[in-house]
Amino acid sequence: MNNDGNQQNQGSMGGIPMQAPRQDMEYLCADCGAKNEIKSREPIRCRECGHRIMYKKRTTRMVQFEAR
Amino acid sequence: MPDSERTHRQPTFSTLEREKLFKFPPKQGSSYKILNEFVAPHIESFNALFDDSGLPSGDGNGKGLLSLGLEDIGERVIFDSTGKDTDAWGNRMRLWIDSVSISRPMVPDRNKYVKDRRVFPSETRERLASYRGRMSIKLCWTDPSGQRQEVTKDCGLAPIMVRSVRCNLRSMSSSELVKHNEEAEEFGGYFVINGNERLIRYLILPRRNHVISLLRPSFVNRGPSYTQYGVQIRCVRPDQTSCTNTLHYLANGSAMFRFSWRKQEYVIPIMLILKALVGASDKEIFEGIMMQDYDNTFLTGRVELLLRSYKMFTMRTGEQALEYLGEKFRVVLGMAEDMSNSAVGALLIRKLILVHIENPREKYRMLLFMLRKLYSLVNGTCCADNPDSPQHQEVLLPGQLYGMIIKERLEEILNAIRTFINVDIRNGSNVDFNDSLDLQQASGFTIVAEKLNWQRYISHFRCIHRGAFFAELKTTTVRKLLPEAWGFLCPVHTPDGSPCGLLNHLARTCRIVTAPLTVAHIPALLAKHGMSEPFSSCIDGRTNLCVQLDGHVIGWASPAVARQLATNLRIWKTESKNEIPMDLEIGMVPPSIGGQYPGLFLFSSRSRMMRPVKYLLNGRDDSIGPFEQVYMDISCTPEEIETGVSTHVEHNPTNFLSILANLTPFSDFNQSPRNIYQCQMGKQTMGTPSTALKHRTDNKLYRLQTGQSPVVRPALHNTYAMDAFPNGTNAVVAVISYTGYDMEDAMILNKSAHERGFAYGTVYKSQIIDLKDMKGASKTGAPTLHFGLGPEVKLHSGENENSCLKFLDWDGLPYIGTRLNSGDPIAAYVDDVTRRTKFVKYKGDEMAYVDEVRLIGEETGDAELQKVHITLRITRSPVIGDKFSSRHGQKGVCSQKWPAIDMPFSESGMQPDVIINPHAFPSRMTIGMLVESMAGKAGAMHGLAQDATPFKFSEQDTAVNYFGEQLKAAGYNYYGNEPMYSGITGQEFAADIYLGVVYYQRLRHMVLDKFQVRTTGPVDPITRQPVKGRKRAGGIRFGEMERDALIAHGTSFLLQDRLMNCSDYSTAWVCRTCGSLISLGYEDISLGEVFAAGSRKPTGPGGEYCRTCRAAAEQEDELERKALETGQQPLHPQGSLSVAISSQNVLGRSSKGGDLDVVAVPYVFRYLCAELASMGIAVSLEIQ
Repeated sequence: MNNDGNQQNQGSMGGIPMQAPRQDMEYLCADCGAKNEIKSREPIRCRECGHRIMYKKRTTRMVQFEAR
Repeated sequence: MPDSERTHRQPTFSTLEREKLFKFPPKQGSSYKILNEFVAPHIESFNALFDDSGLPSGDGNGKGLLSLGLEDIGERVIFDSTGKDTDAWGNRMRLWIDSVSISRPMVPDRNKYVKDRRVFPSETRERLASYRGRMSIKLCWTDPSGQRQEVTKDCGLAPIMVRSVRCNLRSMSSSELVKHNEEAEEFGGYFVINGNERLIRYLILPRRNHVISLLRPSFVNRGPSYTQYGVQIRCVRPDQTSCTNTLHYLANGSAMFRFSWRKQEYVIPIMLILKALVGASDKEIFEGIMMQDYDNTFLTGRVELLLRSYKMFTMRTGEQALEYLGEKFRVVLGMAEDMSNSAVGALLIRKLILVHIENPREKYRMLLFMLRKLYSLVNGTCCADNPDSPQHQEVLLPGQLYGMIIKERLEEILNAIRTFINVDIRNGSNVDFNDSLDLQQASGFTIVAEKLNWQRYISHFRCIHRGAFFAELKTTTVRKLLPEAWGFLCPVHTPDGSPCGLLNHLARTCRIVTAPLTVAHIPALLAKHGMSEPFSSCIDGRTNLCVQLDGHVIGWASPAVARQLATNLRIWKTESKNEIPMDLEIGMVPPSIGGQYPGLFLFSSRSRMMRPVKYLLNGRDDSIGPFEQVYMDISCTPEEIETGVSTHVEHNPTNFLSILANLTPFSDFNQSPRNIYQCQMGKQTMGTPSTALKHRTDNKLYRLQTGQSPVVRPALHNTYAMDAFPNGTNAVVAVISYTGYDMEDAMILNKSAHERGFAYGTVYKSQIIDLKDMKGASKTGAPTLHFGLGPEVKLHSGENENSCLKFLDWDGLPYIGTRLNSGDPIAAYVDDVTRRTKFVKYKGDEMAYVDEVRLIGEETGDAELQKVHITLRITRSPVIGDKFSSRHGQKGVCSQKWPAIDMPFSESGMQPDVIINPHAFPSRMTIGMLVESMAGKAGAMHGLAQDATPFKFSEQDTAVNYFGEQLKAAGYNYYGNEPMYSGITGQEFAADIYLGVVYYQRLRHMVLDKFQVRTTGPVDPITRQPVKGRKRAGGIRFGEMERDALIAHGTSFLLQDRLMNCSDYSTAWVCRTCGSLISLGYEDISLGEVFAAGSRKPTGPGGEYCRTCRAAAEQEDELERKALETGQQPLHPQGSLSVAISSQNVLGRSSKGGDLDVVAVPYVFRYLCAELASMGIAVSLEIQ
């Protein structure tokens, strides 16, 4: 599903297999806490306040360890 | 901060108040004001650099140190003549720096995207950058027509002290600080350099503007007729840079004046300076030194010699002396060519001789005083001063050092410009010089403020160092704890080991004066009250004492008048009358026989240590310094005031202790070294480093998850925000030898207590991934490496799923919360050139969790991601071998986690969390711990926060009784003992067990960081011996002393095993004939035997042979064959090589190099043989 769009994207690049972002990643601004969608190779900058540090969001995947 | 303002202590933990403070940090001011007070010297000294410092201006014009420094630098003059025609200099150009400014840290102008241009320290820390502001200077010059030109030049970025006047956090309230990702208690005082918090440590310097007499045997080595006597004064200019002047006594009675200029020392006869200063006649000088003491033949003789020695210069007037000095120092000073000699001489005097005084007449008076003190020292009427005593010391403050360095740089800029222009004109060579800062060290001023725990962090800001120069000194006199240090330097809080006594900490109430004081009116005021003016000519030196203010002679007074003046000043300053400032130091040194040189010395300058006490005469608060304290009678408590003797009383008997020493409960019950140990261990505790943990990027942080507020705490515990950063856990401690696992300071942990989270800790480590430093990164232009996963990494979950997807997200960064083991991928990046995905691996040995992933952008805000900071969390639950300690220097190592069912229990069913051995007490005498145990138990039962401030109990009102009664009221034994039952058999012990509650700290030394084990492993490639070092899986050295022990025990097999078999065991061929280890040759005889020149060459059974012996045999054959041909006797070449082999082992040399044997030798020995052979030394083994 997601991969299909990716294939098209690659095709439009004209032969150069640029690894365009498969998905926008969401990050949190370290200053104002705003959610920022930053694609791969885009500058790291908050859209709200222009801050230059981002935190990665906590994963939505299940994180499970054997408690032994 | 006199303690009288403190409110009466309530026996409460203030839990609700604290919680409120955490939830709603104050909108106005800070939650703990005292924290801002105790870093004030750091911040205020930095603020003093600027014109808008906010400090009182005192007598000055309120200019900052940088502006004052620029005034002192002055201007440079350049002429454009090429030097070919000697009479003309050409056009005159003046060059000077008009002003220097440092801005607040801002985002660079290139960044167009930000709303708030201010940069805050938390961002700097997170970006691992430096907190810096832009510095610019206004450079001015005159063109040939004399018109003033100016240009503003950018000088790059200068570090800014956090919370100083140039910091964006200046005067923020706690709640605002929290909003900017800082600690609510943030107090600043440090710089942020590359993400680290660095601070400039206080440094002890000689007291400024005060003449001290010295007795140094090394002075004799300065030259012929020099003696060990001298007087020295460290003079400080208004811009806080200093210049030290020394007056040496010569054996012929005269004196030499010494100063240094650009790391070069110069010596001038004192008479020359006296003449040059005011053009004094010989009679004037004679009278000035003698001061009517004509009966003193010692003095008359010396002064006569002094005056006679000047006759050889044949200079009579002051102008002549000035010209002479100017002529000699013209080149050295490097001043303008058009200056006259006398002007250069005057400049020399202004810039280098007694620089704290402007007026030459006053300089002259001060020099006469120095001479009188020098002669008095030689005469023995006064003693030498101790430069190691705090009485003659002051503090170098961070801002002053900063200012000195900037001033030096600015002067360098000016000189460089002048040199450049001169080079352009004359095409000469560039000269590079470097000013000295009049300090004894050139490096080691700054330290990293480690946030290991709160105690360590705040101690950094109170530590004071004697100087790196003294660290390498063999003598220990500088390390001595002197009584003069009482109340200023803490006697308890100093590290043991090499920095002992050199690295001290300021006592809690000790302040450092940072603001200039208003004292200009004092001379007139004193003159009104009976002091003679300094210019009156008929003062008797025998009956009058010199009155000095900051190194200026302001008058003379008889001892009785001087004493009265001192008392008056003290009353005025404590009652703030006559505008006498509180921080004036009034050092009245009474006349004595062979004691300190008498006089009334007043000090109003900055960077002096001061501390508050109570003045008994009027019951007011007084502020005293180390100079005057020596002559005061200060009683420690109101009870010990002796009427007629005591002048002052301490506000609090614990004021002489540092903050950390104050935090040791009941420290007055302990043997003193134990308190020293606790000061060390408190700083190594795994505690709470910070409450803004999310925004910290420290390399390593230790955190105690289950911190508690101690039940037993001194009054200062709350004052210094200790509850905001808990440092340990209250533990039920039984003093009993129960299991046998508690020998030698081992302690037993209750396994259930451990499982409930007792002393559970976490270590946060940082890993920085910077693609700019990776292999394949382009140094210039657009980046070629990008975080992310390449197309070859299969993203589908399924059979072909790449294993990295368990750890990494699509952006090539790890999922937060991922568990990592050694070797797991922590980040992925794609190389544009190879189009492959590369992985960065987690290299640690321990299992870690990804706690935070921080994407760090460029300051300009237009660059893609190149740098990532990953915080890793490593869990550290206590294990056997971890170190714990109580607050009384009683450290121990956990030896067992004992199951709760086997733990002893009391009558009420209580089980101890910790068991320690009773042997820990008798020799160490830490009674404080026993008292804490009782107090903790009573406090826990009654719900009280027990006061553990030292010096609260007495022989009549004992601690044991106080807490014993509390225990009794709670239904326990008065002494804290309890009957206990064995957890294994259920039988009651014959003895009652001492059971109580003690606050335990978990120290950061943990086995997991320290254990070292090896069976086989890496070896050194040269020696083939095991390598050393824990990191490289190396071994522990089995050294000479261990070897001696094995030899002494006769355990030769063990010796062989350790030193040979487990180390560099090797086998080697050795030639039985010549004994050589290194001459092995080999012929492959499996294909048939080798025949050369018709004869069979002898080899060993495997084809091995000795190359030396075979060559010798072949040569012998040759010779014999030749001899046969010619018919002559064969000439045996006389071999220079003698072989130390007994004759029965030499087998007639018939083997011809074929007789070899295998021996077991250490590999290094073979290496040694090869090395020796390279130097032409053969090693021969005797084989039996």
